Parts: sequence; C-alpha cells; structure tokens
Amino acid sequence: MRARAVAGGIVSSIAVLVIGWQLGGQPAVTAPSQSTTSGTASGSGSSGNGSSGSTASGTGGSSVSGTFTGDATETRYGPVQVRITVAGGKITDVTALQLTDHDGRSVQISQQAAPILRQEALAAQSASIQAVSGATFTSEGYTTSLQSAIDKAGL
Amino acid sequence: MNDVLTFETMGTVVSLRGAAAAAASEVRAVFAGYDHRYSLYDPSSVLSRVADGTIRLPDTPEQVRDVYALALDWRERTGGAFTPHRPDGVVDLSGVVKALAIRDAGAVLDEAGADWMISAGGDVLVRGMHRGVEPWSVGVVDPAHRDTVVGVVRLDAPRRAVATSGTAERGEHIWRRTAPTFVQATVVADDVVTADVLATAIVAGDEEDLGRFTSDVDVDVLAFGADGRVWATPGASSWVTTGAAQVP
Repeated sequence: MRARAVAGGIVSSIAVLVIGWQLGGQPAVTAPSQSTTSGTASGSGSSGNGSSGSTASGTGGSSVSGTFTGDATETRYGPVQVRITVAGGKITDVTALQLTDHDGRSVQISQQAAPILRQEALAAQSASIQAVSGATFTSEGYTTSLQSAIDKAGL
Repeated sequence: MNDVLTFETMGTVVSLRGAAAAAASEVRAVFAGYDHRYSLYDPSSVLSRVADGTIRLPDTPEQVRDVYALALDWRERTGGAFTPHRPDGVVDLSGVVKALAIRDAGAVLDEAGADWMISAGGDVLVRGMHRGVEPWSVGVVDPAHRDTVVGVVRLDAPRRAVATSGTAERGEHIWRRTAPTFVQATVVADDVVTADVLATAIVAGDEEDLGRFTSDVDVDVLAFGADGRVWATPGASSWVTTGAAQVP
C-alpha cells in the first residue's frame, strides 16, 4: 500500500537518464582527445596570476572577452588553479593550470586540461554561467578556483 | 562591469553579484555571525562549547535552539537521512548553517536590490535576472570529471536556489547509513535551505529516499548514482544541455 505508493512516486517523479556517459562531457563534437596544451585558444602566454580581458561596450548582455585566472585553491592534495577563456561573456574554454590527483601527485596539465563547457559553447547553447555548483569532494578546490575565475571575469 | 564582490568565510568563498558595498558588508556580518555561533572549528563558538560540555543545549541562545529545532524538523521530514547529530553524539549544525546564512543574506540583499546572486561553496541563491536580461545560470560539475560541467541550471522564480552535495563533503556532515547509492546530488528549490538539506539527504539516502523526497517536496533533482546512472526529475532533464537525455 504505502510502499507501493512510494514506488509509484519514484516512477512518476524520477526518470533515469540512461545515457549517463553522455553527461560525462563526452567530447562529441570537438576536443581532439590527444591535443596538447599548445593549443591556441588559451595558451596566450599570460603569465603568473594575471588575467587579461577586455570589456567592450557591446549590445545586449555581457561582452567580456579574454582570459581570467582563478585564485589557486589549496586542497589537502595541493594547489588547484583554473583559467577560463571568455568570448562575448561566455566561457569557451577552461584550462587547469595546476591540478593534483588524489594521491597528491601533480597531474600533467597536458593530459588533464580537459575541455569544460566546450561542447555547449560550440553547440551555440549559452555557456554563460555566473556560478558553479559541485560537491567539494568531487572538485577538490576546482570549483572554488573556477568560481574565482568567473568572478574575475565579472560574468 | 565587474561588479562581483567576494569574501572568505566558513572555509569557503562567497561571491556576490548585484550588491552594493553597504549590503555586502552586511552580508559578511551575517556569515560571521553564523560562523561565530555554529563553527565546530572555532573552540569559542556556542556549538563548540556545547560539544565540550561547557554549556548545555537548553541554555544556549534562543536562535541556536531554533536552528537545532529546524534541523530536527528536517531529520523528521527526511526520515533520518539528514541529521544534526554526529555518530559520536555531537550536535553538528553545519548541514544547515551555510544555507541559513545564505537565506538571511538574501533578506539583506532583497532590501538593496531586485537583481542579485549569492554563491557560497556551491550553494546559490538568486533574485531577478542576470544584468536584467537573462536568467542567472549555474553550472553543475560532473562528479566523475571535476573539470566538466554536465549541465546548466537556469534559475527562474520561484525556483531561486540550487545546492549540490557529494559523498564526502567538507565538515563530514553527511553520514551514510548504508553503502552510497548516490555520489552527488544537485537540488533546485524555491528556498536554499530546502535545496541544501535535500541535496545532503539524497546523498545520504537511497533510491527510495530520493523517490520520497521528490514526491513530498516540490524540487528538481539531478543525482549521480554510484553505479554510473544519472537520475533526473522532469524539470531537471532540461539542465543537461549536452546530448539527448533519454527519458524512458
């Protein structure tokens, strides 16, 4: 009775998205999986902690463009730091400048700088976000640094 | 154009948009007040003194008892999946305190403006629109790939709050009763306390709990199972902007 009603509730209100792997940012369209960091979009030699960006006065919404480096976030595994590339107020690329894995080793950036949001951006979806929400366990400082970069860009 | 203000509190960073300096400092005071009363990292906080037996809970200020009562109420509503009690018996209100601080900060910001966003450690509360033209948007981080955003939540009144919890949150305020069913849960709700508590409870619970919460409370949920499956309420399916989310 009650149990059945609950079960019914599960069925009616929650659906399993069966293609879970698709959610995992499969680089369906882009992201040559073996590309190195010598890519052009974000490797624009801005050094240190600097951010280079411009805020042109455009029409409608944000027109922030440039690269913005988030604060390095200390985690128990070491520092994590993220840099975003913004075009017309939308994030087109995110690069991890510093990452550590859960064994405390520094991760090779060339292997770990995965495209974030890139597929949405290229799909002409709005990749315009002002905040990120993730479990701290999951992100281990990543979201903090990413939020910091977004804040600096003033998105 | 960069109208973002940030400050550190409660072991995380708060970002404010659409807030003038005066309102921002008031918001800061709100967080400091909560931290001062409830932090278990600060040995002089009210709750630390309850934990070490210096004062009894019934003797704490009314507002502390009110927060404890609120947490107990959520324990009932979640069938114990959310609880303000650590396994060692210590009363730990960190599961609600951040959300309460954000809620109170929202009241401050309401006085000051019609369009604002506050984000604190992945919990977000908004009002109005971003730059007055588009919904405030929050990226949900993939639990399996921290460098990937799997979906974008566009907050639209009355859905003004989003919160995400994972299996081993800061402060260890999630205690699983069983092997984990979900590794991460994002909840969008009308208020940030509901979003935060239910995100915590979903990760602490199982599929049956998830079904019950979504039946009982008006929220949208995107939950990642430990087995790799992804669960979404109808309202949450649209957040997942990549690929076709097949709903059987």
